[in-house]
Amino acid sequence: MLPKSWMLAITGALALAGAALAGSFGLVVPIGGSAADLALDEARGVLYVANFTANRIEVVSLKTNRVQTSINVSAQPGSISLSPDGRWLLVAHFGNNAAPASPTNGLTLIDLTNNNAKQAFALGNPPLGVAFGYDKKALVVTTQEYILFDPVLGTTQVLNTVANVTANTLPVKAATPPTSITTSSIAVSSDYLHAFGIGSSSTTFTFRYDVATHTVSPGGIVLASGIFGPRVVSLNQDGSLGQAGWVMVDLAGNFINLFPQVSNQFSVGTSVFDNKRGLMYAHMPTTAGEAPTLQILDSDNLTLRERLNLPENTTGKSVLTRDASVMYSVSDSGVLVLPIGNLNAAPRLTASAESLVFRGNFCDRKTASQTLFITDPGGGRTPFSIRASAPGISVSPSSGVTPAQVTVTVDPNVFSSQKGTSVVNLTLNSGAAVNVPPPVRVLVNVQEPDQRGTFIDIPGVLVDVLADPARNRYYVLRQDKNLVLVYDSTNNTQIGSMRTYNVPTSLAMTLDNRNLLVGHTKSHTIAVFDLETLQPQPYISSEADNGNVVHSIAVSTNRILASSVDYQGKGHILNVDPVLRNSTQLATLGVYENAVDPDTVVTTSSNASKVMAASADGTVWLYDANVDSFTVSRQDLKSLGGAYAASAFDLFVVGNTLLDSSLVPVAQFESGTGSSSGFAFVDLGGIRTTAPNASSAGIIQHVDLSSASGIRPTRMVEAPLLNTTLGPEKPSVFTRTLAPLPSRNFLVALTTSGITVLPWNYDASVAPPKISGIASAADGKSPVAPGGLVSIFGSQLSPVNMASSEIPIPTALGNSCLTVNGQPTPIIFVSAAQINAQMPRQAIGNVTMTVHTPGGVSDNFNLTVVPNAPAIFLSGQAGSATGLATVVREENSLLVTDSNPVHRRDTLVIYLTGLGTTSPSVGDGMPAPSDPLAQALTMPVVALGDITLPVLYAGLAPGQVGVYQINATVPTNAPQGLGIPLTITQGDWTQTVNVRVVQ
Amino acid sequence: MKLARMLVVCAVAAVPAAMAQRWEFGGGAGGGFYTSQDVSAPSGSAAAKIQSNVAAGVWLANNGRGRWGGEARYDYQRGALQLSSGGTQAAFGAETHALHYDILWHAAPSGARVRPFVAAGAGVKVYRGTGAEVVFQPLSNFALLTKARDLTALVSVGGGVKMQLTSHLQLRMDLHDYLTSFPMQVIAPNVGSKVGGWLHDFVPMVGLSYTSTPGE
Repeated sequence: MLPKSWMLAITGALALAGAALAGSFGLVVPIGGSAADLALDEARGVLYVANFTANRIEVVSLKTNRVQTSINVSAQPGSISLSPDGRWLLVAHFGNNAAPASPTNGLTLIDLTNNNAKQAFALGNPPLGVAFGYDKKALVVTTQEYILFDPVLGTTQVLNTVANVTANTLPVKAATPPTSITTSSIAVSSDYLHAFGIGSSSTTFTFRYDVATHTVSPGGIVLASGIFGPRVVSLNQDGSLGQAGWVMVDLAGNFINLFPQVSNQFSVGTSVFDNKRGLMYAHMPTTAGEAPTLQILDSDNLTLRERLNLPENTTGKSVLTRDASVMYSVSDSGVLVLPIGNLNAAPRLTASAESLVFRGNFCDRKTASQTLFITDPGGGRTPFSIRASAPGISVSPSSGVTPAQVTVTVDPNVFSSQKGTSVVNLTLNSGAAVNVPPPVRVLVNVQEPDQRGTFIDIPGVLVDVLADPARNRYYVLRQDKNLVLVYDSTNNTQIGSMRTYNVPTSLAMTLDNRNLLVGHTKSHTIAVFDLETLQPQPYISSEADNGNVVHSIAVSTNRILASSVDYQGKGHILNVDPVLRNSTQLATLGVYENAVDPDTVVTTSSNASKVMAASADGTVWLYDANVDSFTVSRQDLKSLGGAYAASAFDLFVVGNTLLDSSLVPVAQFESGTGSSSGFAFVDLGGIRTTAPNASSAGIIQHVDLSSASGIRPTRMVEAPLLNTTLGPEKPSVFTRTLAPLPSRNFLVALTTSGITVLPWNYDASVAPPKISGIASAADGKSPVAPGGLVSIFGSQLSPVNMASSEIPIPTALGNSCLTVNGQPTPIIFVSAAQINAQMPRQAIGNVTMTVHTPGGVSDNFNLTVVPNAPAIFLSGQAGSATGLATVVREENSLLVTDSNPVHRRDTLVIYLTGLGTTSPSVGDGMPAPSDPLAQALTMPVVALGDITLPVLYAGLAPGQVGVYQINATVPTNAPQGLGIPLTITQGDWTQTVNVRVVQ
Repeated sequence: MKLARMLVVCAVAAVPAAMAQRWEFGGGAGGGFYTSQDVSAPSGSAAAKIQSNVAAGVWLANNGRGRWGGEARYDYQRGALQLSSGGTQAAFGAETHALHYDILWHAAPSGARVRPFVAAGAGVKVYRGTGAEVVFQPLSNFALLTKARDLTALVSVGGGVKMQLTSHLQLRMDLHDYLTSFPMQVIAPNVGSKVGGWLHDFVPMVGLSYTSTPGE
């Protein structure tokens, strides 16, 4: 065993060596042949590699990563296994020679403690793999049987038989790698209690082996034909999860996660569980011949975290060292050494944000800039270049070395014709970085005063939205991260998330509103979440004996139905049983066959009495819960797509078509505003969203269902989503993007940037805003100073209540914007009666303020901005007391109150605003720096009673916008008592709060 | 500094006794039990006191050949500051240190195996608030339990019994009432509240003494 420090040094050097090879991760160890299998012997500091074509076991030093010696063995070593005590190395020889040559199938047992002494054992059938258990006996799998091999006695015992398997014969065509010949793999859990394997190119089978009982059972995957690649298996620590090819199975044999878009080659790719970090490392090419990359994924649901460039293809099994510091993989040249435990030593690139949002508004048409930080997660200096995929966006500098700060500048005028949100990607490149950094999304929104709604940036692929009628929440399904995002519908902020299985597609709630159901296209499961606790419950299998994945789910009063696609790509309707936790394919859909288009959705009416199914091929079905059967099926149109919804009054909508209770088309909605995206029945009417394209302004309108005519079509701030996906390789023509909240305060729509929140009465006429007063935001009465936070009081200042947490602070929020002397002003909070904003740095002396809303522009409000106006925030809270001054004792970091009084010798931290200009100056809406600190140009005087306090620092609070802090110490002669005046004086303005002072 | 000066004065007062050659040195442990005082405010009143807790003390005594004697004592007590009113209670960690000199009159002559005695004296007591301050303290409208120090005059009355165990070892059982004025720095009445009077601190204690003269 090597010392850990040595291992780290070596792995670090390896990572860098890999990087030098044009930005790839890992080191190639050539073996002069074709590797078939490997076994790690950490006690001896070596890796054994079965060299299938050179008839050797190569012994690779873990220290030098070179072949230090070779053990000559019989022909075609295809599988090897090391006994847990490190004594035996068992080698299976795939010698399935075609006539006239004779088969040479057999085993070689090597005693590693006795000068590598070898014993040979003949086998009647080609061995597919060998694996030792904790009992030091090995399972030998052949094309005909499972054999228990005792290396001490040299005996074999048949445990079970294998049926319907035909092995490849030798010789094979040129350039056929070993894994394509043996087409098998076995892995053992790290506790040596379980083995999991896959075999055969004819009838592919998987099996589990329980070492304690010496029993072999089916592994959950049986394939009559076809390639199931890569032909590699791996097991997690306790054997509860196994990965075979692109399928992850659990103990019950259910396919709980599948890799999407797999090239499905026998001998390109690998996978291995990292139990220590809860990760999986996998090479799963999406197309044959693509550049190899290692994916780092969450092992519970295959969420992709990072991709690393590999120097060559992996071609079989991978193993990890016990401390998970180094991964070894069978590869084209022999072995790939991947120091994944020391990834930070390899050059990588990452950006500080997934998205940059430029909220253009009718106050501001000027060029806008934001800062993006490019770093190496390991802290290294990695060269990079960055460029935008469209004109109108520039990045400066466009190349550099990490850590670096680049400025992204947007000219809104280039995008002004869109009137919605344009998405432009910034691509990071590096000749040295070993990772594949994801692009940074730049959202450029341009809007006019009549456009309604406020969008919230949610990066990634959003595919469904569902309002919770029992809680003030709604749920947004983020497919690329396998997450259900939970939003508080009172303030539209994310309050939680729930992890799904791989590639979720749709949401539904149970009738009792207690559980959320999530369908997936890369998992044969329906995930179930308890909505009270947001915790996962046991999943419902959607396997239905036919490998079904779920497209959408509808909950009726009688049954839960799901549209699904089986392993052959055929669509069906499933009956979902939440009690037995399984699904069955309905025998028929009433009098109709249970065969639907693969792109079929189901939706239920709000009273849950009817379920409509709609297919892309134009077919519709109706399930009536009262008669528990499908009562209608029609195909009046050649295709369907877009929004779909069912009402409690026996009306249905698919795309632009209104259907009656027999699903007969009765009317068409207008199509001049673009493609259908969302539809929701509300009372006896409906609301629909449409858009011509993703970067346009969307349209939202009420519809009169008796005439199908639109009512007050209103432009949205950006376009609703016009398509969703069933996974990276499968678009869907159907969209469910609109969710009216049961509280009727908002409508939530999936839109280009994420979600857009519209007030329920989005189309109501809006009165012009009116400003009645302006004061410091700290106390609502002090004067205002440049750079300070201010409150604007008035009426009709905003149609919605909304707070922003974006940095930099946007100059428009909730359809309101503010100018001071014509200059757009950062806004933190908007409501009908109050706006909180930051006074621009340049605003000083007599200035004019106006508020712009969809209702118009306010009258000018004239005010005087003084250079300094210190005002302590009165936002503290203690027990039932509110409005307390934000004066904090450094000793315990608690607010000063009568029960936490100021002590002599204390250091006080006073949070306030209005200290005026600073050095260095900080941009409007930008957070204050921490190095160097932005100090106030005019030092304030702080006093307790008549005693002046030494001021240690006065300036902007690091990381805050418009918030200042004063640090001051309390002298030993400070007056004691209740209600001692603490006074801040700066320039011509003084503010006083009373505090208690004790010894 | 005030406390240091007091300690010096008390120590000097004890010197003559120590010089008298018939001396006794001992220590004991017991408990402290305080009476409470009402803090009155326009909205009502709250009972303020120090919570009962352990007490420990040491003494150096000079006993004459007759029935009179004198001793200097140091007593330490733990016990949180407490306010209670209408089922609501607030507490704050605290401790006290007392230093005093008592005159003793023994009911049995020197040399007796069992010597009941009465004692009276005076000294000083320091109350120290030691708890962790929080932004909100219940009942703070009456008084504020504070991390501060209060130095008060102390009057001591009490009695007990000494039992000779061996020629140089005595078992002592004492009961003292230590009276002080209300410690207004550590239990500070809030604006509009009033509190006053004396606090009684009853301290029973059991201890052992070493006597310089056999049978004293």
